[in-house]
Amino acid sequence: MTGPVELEHLDTYTYQIPRSHRADMRVPARFYADPELLEGLLQDRSLAQLINTATLPGAVGYALAMPDIHQGYGFPIGGVLATAAPEGIISPGGVGYDINCGVRLLGSHLSRDEIQPHLDRLASALQARCPSGVGQGGDIRLKKGELEEVLAQGSRWALRRGYATAADLDHTEEGGRLSGADPARVSERALERGRGQIGTLGAGNHFIEVDAVDAIFEPDTAQRLGLRENGLVVQIHCGSRGLGHQVCSDYVKRFQKSLARFGYHLPDRELVCAPLDSAEGLDYLAAMNAAANFAFANRQVLTHLIRQCFETALAGRLRRFELFQIYDIAHNMAKLETHTVEGRERLLCVHRKGATRAFGPGRPEVPEAYRAVGQPVLVPGSMGTASWVLTGTATAMQETFGSTCHGAGRQMSRSLAKKRHRGPGVREALERMGIAVRAGSMAGLAEEAPQAYKDVDRVVEVVHGAGLARKVARLVPLAVVKG
Amino acid sequence: MTSDIQPLPPYQELDHTADLALLVRGADLEALLRHAALGMYHLMGADIPPAGPGIRQRVVLSAMDAEDLLVDWLGELAFWAESRQLIFRAFTFHDLSPGHLTATLQGGRVGHLEKHIKAVTFHNLRIVDTPQGLETTIVFDV
Repeated sequence: MTGPVELEHLDTYTYQIPRSHRADMRVPARFYADPELLEGLLQDRSLAQLINTATLPGAVGYALAMPDIHQGYGFPIGGVLATAAPEGIISPGGVGYDINCGVRLLGSHLSRDEIQPHLDRLASALQARCPSGVGQGGDIRLKKGELEEVLAQGSRWALRRGYATAADLDHTEEGGRLSGADPARVSERALERGRGQIGTLGAGNHFIEVDAVDAIFEPDTAQRLGLRENGLVVQIHCGSRGLGHQVCSDYVKRFQKSLARFGYHLPDRELVCAPLDSAEGLDYLAAMNAAANFAFANRQVLTHLIRQCFETALAGRLRRFELFQIYDIAHNMAKLETHTVEGRERLLCVHRKGATRAFGPGRPEVPEAYRAVGQPVLVPGSMGTASWVLTGTATAMQETFGSTCHGAGRQMSRSLAKKRHRGPGVREALERMGIAVRAGSMAGLAEEAPQAYKDVDRVVEVVHGAGLARKVARLVPLAVVKG
Repeated sequence: MTSDIQPLPPYQELDHTADLALLVRGADLEALLRHAALGMYHLMGADIPPAGPGIRQRVVLSAMDAEDLLVDWLGELAFWAESRQLIFRAFTFHDLSPGHLTATLQGGRVGHLEKHIKAVTFHNLRIVDTPQGLETTIVFDV
């Protein structure tokens, strides 16, 4: 529990904790919820963690949290913090260990009815071809020096190796490559952890999911994105694997040593940070960008493997089984972006930890094909529940530094989920709903039971109602492959 | 006459919404590190390899304080578990202070780990001295 909090209810979905709530807050904290979500988030330490982020040097505007907020470590999950660049801070804990964990959505010309007789074969092919599980390595063997190229080039490396199309890169945040990545800032241990993990899903809440488009809310936008009612799509949720985890660990440790030099007094050591223009800050930014490029390349190689699975499972049985990329978006990242603050253009370092960029129409960062409608936002739900495709808005640009929610958000601890649910029971319940399930771990399946998460439809109603994103399409799962 | 007072467990899992948290106790720093290792292996669902010659690994760590050392220690063990499926059952500390550790570890490979520990965090990490010894709560990113 967070303890007594001074809450101002600003409008239907917006709540604020004033700066006066705690002496060390530099900016107010603001979050988005409805009454039920508010009651839930008061049950853990989410708001205490949000208040802590409001104390960080160089914070601009508000420390923000989206309606999928839940307790994490350091920053809450669902947290957004913008700091002034270059004099403000950058915090590895504000990005998290799974740097550029994100979601990719692939579209198809197939329909829900067409795939139904082939679903089990397809799910089994996906599980067999896409490596998943703890520390699991993949089939891609990198030549000497090639990992450094992955870190510097991201999805461009994948394009050169034949794992991508140019259109895939066009429909990826930053074109699948962040500039300013420096492999030399990544430790030997991080390289070792990542070397065999390109093209692997990992474990935990990562997944590949085959979905059907269940409902369309904005037909013109949906058509532009390549979505049609009952159409088949594929989601990939994963990140930078052990390489990213090690980059974060390395810099959280290194930053501890320089805290005193910068004169920072922080309420939690996990919030450790350094000025963006310090040697520490610049090194972390370069290493984080390299890990983010690894994650883009990882999801790209998985895309290649998934396309192979569609061919294996469906060739000769169905026509037009090719997959095209709709979008790929990060939800754990710190990025240098220009935003208008109090009428003035400012360069900011926007930390999103379990939050998605949601740039509105007209922004040059949005791919040309989508610029008129706003950036696609991909919001996966839990197994057995819906996922959503949204678009970013001008309101998000004004209120949340162009950010919105990233998922349903957990509401039940993993230990409680395992006490209340058993993996085989979860699988049977999903199969009764017509969902094909392939999971490497029954305990992991129990932890990820749909009941462990908030209602994603409710979370999306809040961001839609608050104007932080617009509903385009609702997806429902047909097959789930978990690590 | 038997005492009603039960010894406190060396580690116990605590509720955490998204990740995993472990309360660890130890009479001294060496016991705390040992119990933290066993507690983390428990969270991973790792079977401790049986006694035998197995695999030996020397570990040398430097840290700025005891909390930093604890994070490094568990991070080292999580690395060997992730990258080589290597789980240690015996820990011999040759040199140990809050700022430094030299140890020899003995263990073996396991076939499967149920849970992946991505990282050991510094979240609210503080080793406190209690009348029963040292105590701390560690949050793991999973």
